[in-house]
Amino acid sequence: MIGEIAHFLSLSAAVLFGLILIFNFFFYFGKASPNQLVLSTRLFNQACWLVFFSFGIYIYLAINDDFSIAYIASHSNTQLPVFYKITSIWSAHEGSMFLWIVFLIAWSILFIKSLDQNHPLKKLTLLMLSLIILGFLLFLLLTSNPFERILPFGALEGADINPVLQDPALAIHPPMLYLGYVGFVISFSFITAYLVNGNFSLQWEQDIKSWSLLAWIFLTIGIALGSWWAYYELGWGGYWFWDPVENVALMPWLAATAFMHSLFASSKSNVLKAWTMFLGILIFSLSLFGAFIVRSGIIDSVHSFANDPQRGLYLLTFSGLISLFAIGVFAYRLPALNSSNLVVTGSKESFLSMNNILMITSIFSIFLGVTYPLIIESIYSEKVSIGPPYYNSIFAPLILIAAIFIMISIDALWQRRMSFRTFILSILTPTILSVLTIYIIWKITNVFSVLAFIGILSGLLILFSYSIKIITNFIDKKYINKGSAISHIGLGVLFLAISLNSILSYEKNLNLAPGQSIAINDSLKDFSFKSIKVLEASNHDVISAEVSVIQDNRSLSLNPQKRKYTTRGQITSESAIKASVLKDTYLTIGDQLDNGSWTFSLKINYFIKWIWLSVAIMVFGMLLTIFKNKTS
Amino acid sequence: MNMFLRSLIVLLPVLILVFFAKILLVDDEIKFKDFESKNFPEFSLNDLNGDPVRAQSLDGIKLVNVWASWCITCLVEHPFLTKLSGQNFKIIGLNYKDSNAKAVAWLEKHGSPFLFSIYDPRGDLAFDLGVTGAPETFLIIDRKIVAHIQGEMTQKKWDAIFAPKIFKARQPS
Repeated sequence: MIGEIAHFLSLSAAVLFGLILIFNFFFYFGKASPNQLVLSTRLFNQACWLVFFSFGIYIYLAINDDFSIAYIASHSNTQLPVFYKITSIWSAHEGSMFLWIVFLIAWSILFIKSLDQNHPLKKLTLLMLSLIILGFLLFLLLTSNPFERILPFGALEGADINPVLQDPALAIHPPMLYLGYVGFVISFSFITAYLVNGNFSLQWEQDIKSWSLLAWIFLTIGIALGSWWAYYELGWGGYWFWDPVENVALMPWLAATAFMHSLFASSKSNVLKAWTMFLGILIFSLSLFGAFIVRSGIIDSVHSFANDPQRGLYLLTFSGLISLFAIGVFAYRLPALNSSNLVVTGSKESFLSMNNILMITSIFSIFLGVTYPLIIESIYSEKVSIGPPYYNSIFAPLILIAAIFIMISIDALWQRRMSFRTFILSILTPTILSVLTIYIIWKITNVFSVLAFIGILSGLLILFSYSIKIITNFIDKKYINKGSAISHIGLGVLFLAISLNSILSYEKNLNLAPGQSIAINDSLKDFSFKSIKVLEASNHDVISAEVSVIQDNRSLSLNPQKRKYTTRGQITSESAIKASVLKDTYLTIGDQLDNGSWTFSLKINYFIKWIWLSVAIMVFGMLLTIFKNKTS
Repeated sequence: MNMFLRSLIVLLPVLILVFFAKILLVDDEIKFKDFESKNFPEFSLNDLNGDPVRAQSLDGIKLVNVWASWCITCLVEHPFLTKLSGQNFKIIGLNYKDSNAKAVAWLEKHGSPFLFSIYDPRGDLAFDLGVTGAPETFLIIDRKIVAHIQGEMTQKKWDAIFAPKIFKARQPS
């Protein structure tokens, strides 16, 4: 009964959003009265709250083990702690789509509230948002209904959540990611409204700046958490796999990063407006594309939900129409958008536009990497796999060029050509320092890889040029954009960490019986496998190995485990990780061999923690920028 | 701004949409090849432990799953294979274009649903079987190939293609 109420609330919300659209459509061409907007806003708010209530009830049902609801029955279990009963809601397609919509609505209602009642774009933005919400609500209710009942008798016990999802990271990774994806609906709707409205004297950048920065932060944290989770909890042993689903998250991130940059440029110097709008439309279109890729099952991936062409077709049609509409209006208005001021060569915005182009290039390359196997499959009926070598070789040069432009742009001015002298001075010291450092790294590590060294060079150029700028400006007491400087330093650290990780890390497969020990190399003088224990936990059995390692003259004890979950029979590996500042020692236990010995996989990962640290630095810089934007 | 560029901006997304719609609508039918009792090719290969594989191991009802440690989709279908092996279906792995150490490590990490895995680093047996990539799964009944699936093995494909044939084979004739 309660489930039906929640279902009904969502249905009513869909009807209300539909009414808002019909109502406004019929009256749009007539004389607009202020009451019409007041009424629409009120209806909009009520419809939003209906969905919130509906989701609230759904959480209540999940906590109280209502297994007559098919989705809860197949993804939860009475034995689960309450926390996982709630997170199980977003552990599969229907529930996560529901959460996605709840976030979509949350962003929309907050943004609409933030706009003045007589803001010229309020009505159109509200309509655009209603249309998008309605489309997704219908998608949820028609093709992936989370409220569906098992009739006439519900299940007595749920099928349990997948054990790899029984992790605190699951509670935050998908919600953060969705908040990011969905947050760009604001810039998308607002820009589309601006383009439809056609009054180009309006200033619009400031209204969406903070919102977009916030969405960028969520998206960044969401992606980083996913990578952290895969490494520390799922035991994948790495941080990025160029999995199609990782790629479809990276594309909107790159577009969003380019968008942030040109948003600042266009609010500062009145150029790049068309670019900014195009990027704003592109981000959300790519988010929608991502939803389509993940939820249509068109690509095999560890992330993809069950294959259902009907869902895929609905998503493709709906998101295609929405994006095409926005892009169509953009193309129609393009001649009017072109500002008469040209970008001055050698000005800050000229380097910014170059990096915009580089980011678009990388988005296109990823897009090609994702779709190429599909193209080949549909033409030749053959399966091909595109892996890290493709992406590494494409990204390394792009990153280097981008780093060089970042370095030059630090001392460049808005709207003015930089003098040749400043140009030389600004690149000379960082370049010399970077080349020297690279030489030292090469001498210390004794390894050489072109791609990795390109990455290291890019990271160093950014780090040195920003450090020099910060120090000199501090001494001269000159102004520096702290947020931007910190974020870019984060980016430099990221490039450096990824490249050093790729050349220094190594992996060993070992085969030992309890009581045996072995020397591995100069840094790992002793690896001894002490004993093995079998334990029983509440819903799983555990095999736990006790290993002690002498690494760099320090003694470490490691306890890798294997777990067998009783309800699903699934076996998971819990790797043991010992982390120090420079490297992680990552040990996974395998199977027992016939002679009684056990196999281990030992990975030494250098600088891997620095990857997430760099993301934290970038996010911190972005937070500073939001704060500054709010106070100014 | 010329007309050409403006139409291109709209045309490109339209093309992308049409492409995906085509894939969804046209390529939707489950891809499989139906062999009417073709013999399993002869081979002389070892398993991952280095012991030679005997042809008798293909007697009875067996599944042969082509997999590799580099193959992401293999990891996706892994839980389903584990479920099958839990239901007492006998699955033989065909480790395809892989290195022994990596394959063994993969099995240790994720668990093995296989009775054993045939080690085929150059893809010889896979070539004779007509494998185009990993994963693929063959249904073998008394050393004859009865059915063949390319790509991820799912419950849907299992129910539609393999289950009926196994049911028929188990009926006393």
